[in-house]
Amino acid sequence: MKTIYRYLIILILAVNAALLPSSCEEFLDVQPTSSLVADNAIYDAKTARASIISVYSSAKSYSTGSAVTLGVIPGDNVFFGGSQSQNIELDANAFTVTNSAIVGAYRENYTIINRANWVLSEVPKVTDEALTDEERNHLIGEAYFLRAFAYFHLARSWGGVQIQLQPTTDLSSIGNIKRSSQEETYARVIEDLDEAERLLRPDDNTTRNRAQKAIVQAFRARVHLYARQWDEAERYATQVIDNPKYELVSPYRAFFTAPFLTKEAVFEFTSTATDRNTSWSAWYPSAVTRSGSYERRPTSELINLLNDPEKGGTRNVLIAQSGSDVYGVLYNTVSTTTVAAASTDPAYVIRLADLYLIRAEARARKTPANLPEAVSDLNRIRNRAEVASFPETGDANAVLLAIEEERRLEFAFEAHRWYDLVRTERAKDILGVDRNFWLFPIPRADVLSDPDLDGHNNPGYD
Amino acid sequence: MKSILTYFIARGWAKTKRTKTYVLLLVGLLQIVSTAAYGQTVIKGKVVDEKTQEPLSGVTVLQKSTKNGVTTDANGAFEIKTRDALPVALSIILAGYNAQEVDVYDAEEPVTVSLSEENNYFDEVVVTGYTTQQRKAISGAITSVNFTEVNTHQADQDVAKLLQGKASGVQITSTSGTPGGGVTFIVRGNNSIGGSVAPLYVVDGVFMNASNAVGSSGGNLMSNALADINPADIENISILKDANATSIYGAQGANGVVLITTKRGKLNTPSRINFTVSHGWSEAVNRFKVTTGPETGQLLNESWTNTANDYGEELPDYLNRVKPAHYNLVYPDFPDRINSPQYASLPTYDRIDGLFQIANSSDYQVSVQGGNAASNHYIGVGYSSQESVVKPNTFERFSGRINYDNNVTRNLKLGTSFNINRTQRSNVRGNDNDPGGIINSAIFPRSFLPIYNDDGTYAAHATFNNHLRLIEHLDNDYVTWRNIVNLYGEYTFLPELKFRSSWSFDYVHNTTRSFSDFALSTNGSASSSSGLDLVYSAEQLLTYIKSFGRNGAHSVNAFLGNTINIRTSESVGASGSNYLFDQLKEVSSAATTSGSSSRSESRLVSFFGKAGYTYDDRYSFEFSLRADGSSRFGKNVRWGYFPAAGLTWSAGRESFVKNLKLFNDLKLRGSFGYAGNQNGIGNYDAIGVWSSSSQSYLDQASIAPGRLANPDLTWETTRQADFGIEFSTLKNRLNVDFDLYHKYTTNMLQSVTVPSRSGYSSATRNYGEMSNRGVELTIQSVNIQTKNFKWVTDFNISANRNKIEKIPQEQTLGATNRGTSILREGYPVNSFFLYKQLYVDPQTGNAVYDDVDKNDSITYADRQIVGKALPNFTGGLTNILTYGNFELNIFFYFTQGNDLLNMQDFFLLHGGTQNGIGFVPRQLDRWQKPGDVTDIPRLTTYNLNPTQNNGPANNYTGQVANLSSRYLDDGSFLRLKNISLSYTLPKSLVSKLHLNRVKATLSATNLWTLTRYKGVDPEVSAQSSDQNTAGYDWATVPQPRTFQVILNVTL
Repeated sequence: MKTIYRYLIILILAVNAALLPSSCEEFLDVQPTSSLVADNAIYDAKTARASIISVYSSAKSYSTGSAVTLGVIPGDNVFFGGSQSQNIELDANAFTVTNSAIVGAYRENYTIINRANWVLSEVPKVTDEALTDEERNHLIGEAYFLRAFAYFHLARSWGGVQIQLQPTTDLSSIGNIKRSSQEETYARVIEDLDEAERLLRPDDNTTRNRAQKAIVQAFRARVHLYARQWDEAERYATQVIDNPKYELVSPYRAFFTAPFLTKEAVFEFTSTATDRNTSWSAWYPSAVTRSGSYERRPTSELINLLNDPEKGGTRNVLIAQSGSDVYGVLYNTVSTTTVAAASTDPAYVIRLADLYLIRAEARARKTPANLPEAVSDLNRIRNRAEVASFPETGDANAVLLAIEEERRLEFAFEAHRWYDLVRTERAKDILGVDRNFWLFPIPRADVLSDPDLDGHNNPGYD
Repeated sequence: MKSILTYFIARGWAKTKRTKTYVLLLVGLLQIVSTAAYGQTVIKGKVVDEKTQEPLSGVTVLQKSTKNGVTTDANGAFEIKTRDALPVALSIILAGYNAQEVDVYDAEEPVTVSLSEENNYFDEVVVTGYTTQQRKAISGAITSVNFTEVNTHQADQDVAKLLQGKASGVQITSTSGTPGGGVTFIVRGNNSIGGSVAPLYVVDGVFMNASNAVGSSGGNLMSNALADINPADIENISILKDANATSIYGAQGANGVVLITTKRGKLNTPSRINFTVSHGWSEAVNRFKVTTGPETGQLLNESWTNTANDYGEELPDYLNRVKPAHYNLVYPDFPDRINSPQYASLPTYDRIDGLFQIANSSDYQVSVQGGNAASNHYIGVGYSSQESVVKPNTFERFSGRINYDNNVTRNLKLGTSFNINRTQRSNVRGNDNDPGGIINSAIFPRSFLPIYNDDGTYAAHATFNNHLRLIEHLDNDYVTWRNIVNLYGEYTFLPELKFRSSWSFDYVHNTTRSFSDFALSTNGSASSSSGLDLVYSAEQLLTYIKSFGRNGAHSVNAFLGNTINIRTSESVGASGSNYLFDQLKEVSSAATTSGSSSRSESRLVSFFGKAGYTYDDRYSFEFSLRADGSSRFGKNVRWGYFPAAGLTWSAGRESFVKNLKLFNDLKLRGSFGYAGNQNGIGNYDAIGVWSSSSQSYLDQASIAPGRLANPDLTWETTRQADFGIEFSTLKNRLNVDFDLYHKYTTNMLQSVTVPSRSGYSSATRNYGEMSNRGVELTIQSVNIQTKNFKWVTDFNISANRNKIEKIPQEQTLGATNRGTSILREGYPVNSFFLYKQLYVDPQTGNAVYDDVDKNDSITYADRQIVGKALPNFTGGLTNILTYGNFELNIFFYFTQGNDLLNMQDFFLLHGGTQNGIGFVPRQLDRWQKPGDVTDIPRLTTYNLNPTQNNGPANNYTGQVANLSSRYLDDGSFLRLKNISLSYTLPKSLVSKLHLNRVKATLSATNLWTLTRYKGVDPEVSAQSSDQNTAGYDWATVPQPRTFQVILNVTL
């Protein structure tokens, strides 16, 4: 009997001993099952294609989220009715260096850039017969476009930024890169757009949610407008306006009514049932749709303008009313009242209407100004909204003010108003915001952690 | 002789296969036979408990200065034979009782010995890491809490909450008054910023998984793993605090170790069946308060009037010009009534009342405890249910336990601790820090707004849901099945050499189910998930304990062991939306469904050893070393080594101290060592990965760079020096234990901010450093002890000073991105970072803030640390008075020097700037006219101070926004945590009923509180699961006041 126990003990010891040194190191190698263990996972056609999708994915979430938050709340179309201080700060134009909405937006853009840089650095190295040179170039072209997309948003929000052109492989070696000026940053955007236009395959007649040469041109018109390069802005806008793929849709509500990707859509980020856009919840009162928080509310000034047939015209469909609550419906058009939110609304990045108004403004601002054609462009937009034409005038300033108001209404809840007022240096007059607060602050965490920022933030935030 | 005996035992057992009793009888018989030849004296006797007069079995009766000894049987009887001439001295020894010596002059009369329960602090046996030791030999700082009936008189059926205030050096904070709700358990201060600060919990040798059952949406507030354990099953809890005690747990020991030992039977003890029934009623002591309808209207009107005046306009003109969209919340038919303020006649709708209830709780326990000569058992079954004082949350626990040990042979012992629990939390409120939360939806809406619409449906206002709708329609269950099982075999090679093999697992199966019906979400939504968390441990331990030399002057206590620990965690979940009917609640009935699964694993291989040497009970030296290999660590740093050493000088045994006649015993001890913490790193944080999604943009697959490899990621190390003095004086009636410690954590795990341009925002690194230093004092005193009256006092107080010594950059966090808490070098964690309001200018009514940099404007640079959530000291005072059959227990808990951010004020003291949010009554103290002295500034609706862009502004917005120190309160309190009065029925009466004991108790929990805190309850700390944001009172369920009736019956 006793021997049996002895054997038992020895057995237990043996089991342990066998389990252990068989190789402790091997025993301790445990790997995740939900992510790819790799330093670089772009190695064939499949992964090359998947890598560009991740760039789109981050650009989409930026466009449905932060881009609208930063473009709308600091302006005068929408006020913030919730209690989150980052949004209250945006509403009050009292941006702080730790404002989480601003910090988040800044980081999102660099996430897009890092992902694009991976595509740009690795896709050229992929050797896979399934990846033709044509497709390879197209993927690279898309990456250039999306990188330009992100640098443009950085430049218009923060001024000149640090231009990061290599993917991050090691956090300790991200290079010593100082901030560029805003002009240099826009120049980099143009350079990337040039490459994109060169590399993308010829346009098809249907794609409106992935990069196309025409999308690059349209985006470029906008960049030139921001960079105050009127002739180029006009030229590129014209290229897109003349492209038969695009036309203004009527009535106004058609562009934001499903099915999306209308002929007016130059570039939209599409949402699907699995890749949803739930940003509508901030706009809807809970009385209308349960999860609505009604934090973003149209200002009475905007409501009055939209409801004015002389100004808003048919654009009054952008707002609806429930009891005494007036709310914006741009981002949940699928549901009207009690129908469930499908949350498949896209992010409206570039509409043809924008190109008309870009061209109108470029024509009014260039020297010499071409006011009749500027007014003609303006009236295309007014007439579509069933608003009377703006009279012919020789007063350039009056035309510019009309364009300003038109943009305010045409893009009431899209990511334009704040940036337009800053771009045209009207933020002080209209909103009373000091010039020092026209740019957002660089996140304080960056100023502290990045020696290349030399401890400095944008003026007014140091 | 001995080998023959062994032979007979073995043969006898093998042949007859009779029980061990026979073997023992045989031994006894052989002894009688072997000694009878010499004409011996037989001394008969009986050992009883002095207090209960119950016979005591298993008592060692030893003839002094010989090896001649026997043990008492089930009836407490013994017979000992001696060759020596009378009188002989007998030593009567039983663990837990004071040893006694009896001189026997006459063998004719049976001897009756009464043993008194041990008060001798130094002989107390303490559960330490992997072994037990007598306190006198321990060089580490260990607090041992014996769980007795009186511990469970407190209403909280949760081990962690019952430990609060009972152990020095341990700070236990309930995050809310939710039953089974969140607890932060911190031993000797926060050691970490990025890692976990929770100690390692070991239940009967089983490493416990302490993750929260309610994972998402405020899980930390709503659940804690220790609530799975039935307090009635617990015998003792040892808290290992210093390095000498904890480093044997290596990379898991730095935050302290909590060893929970459950009840086991004793050999040769008749089984006793014990019943406990209790019922309780709880209520909220204070409730949330908001202004009445007329008050709210008046405040709003005043804020509009002030704003208009600032613009130099009359109110109607101003309103006509600005046309504020939300003005109609005050005057529904604006603008007609503009000139006739109607606020005096506004109605008041009380939402708070609908929130609270008298909560019932009940608890039932049955246990059987006992043993025969070879085996012992404890079987316990319990049921406990508790309602929350804030509707509609409930907590329910079933538990069952079998602890069984069997001495299979003289050398082999097998045993098990088997525990199964089912814990259910139902209708758990979502995160309270959310506008959708139930409490918020009751306190935020303006009180003149109706609860119901005209058609009788629930009315919702602004961004807030209707609280009654939430209460009525909330439908969720979080069920945890937890199975803590240990099987061990112990083989005694030699009396001094034992081998123990122990195999255990902690199996946790969490299922959650929730359904939002059509009232809560459009077309309904449901989710269901199942998670399995397993901790397997295999542990092999060789122990050597021996005394040798003259009088056993040299003694050695050593062990060597290894463990393998595997933790796996798996889950599957499904969610659905768009239902046709809201009676169909399963995900499968939804039109849109989605599913997910996850799996993760970590492994730990450890080798450890400890050796202690004691000379003459006076000097002890201990040394231990543990090596841990962890799968979580980076390849370059996979193995960690954790040494510790301790010294003890039992000065009380020195003659010169004895001669002082001051101390019954005196011990000085010191220790130094290292322990680690690996909790807080994710299982795969050291590994570089790419993430992938099959349905990303346009439903196509994507891959993206995820985490960058971090081959240097490793545990954080805490080194600790501890010095302690323990002494007993006044005939062992006063025991004092004093400790002084200094902890220093290096390689602190932390999320280090990296430049955003990298495409990353932060990375987990071993970077920071933190220190904790503190003192602890425990006093146990038997104040009065007479035949009928006994008064015992336990007092403990601890102070800890935490300081961040090094972090990469300061970091603000808390209050949903408002950055109200800060981590800054040179300051403790959980410091509050706000603008310091100096006063409200009596002339202008504007708030004046401390202009730290004296540049005449309030900017970010003027934000400062104005308080901290960590207390200066905490402690507990227990008094137990026993008179005859009455026992009175009075327990106070206190915490001093901690601040609380009153988030109700933070949001509801907005001065008129918040659309759609009401006010707390404190708003009525606002400045109204020159000369008013108050700390609440003037009401205004606009966001900015018109004279200063980006200026501080008075209310809620501007540079200061609501980050003002006026919402920060002193959270110190002294609370009569529990008072209970028990009466035990006289033995004579009880025995007529054929019962052993009947005891009835009346108990009150949280009966009285002394505090300056202006909120509802100071004993809350609700934020998120982030340990760096403590001290927030954010729509939190207050600690309830509970009255209980408890009945104990022992058969």
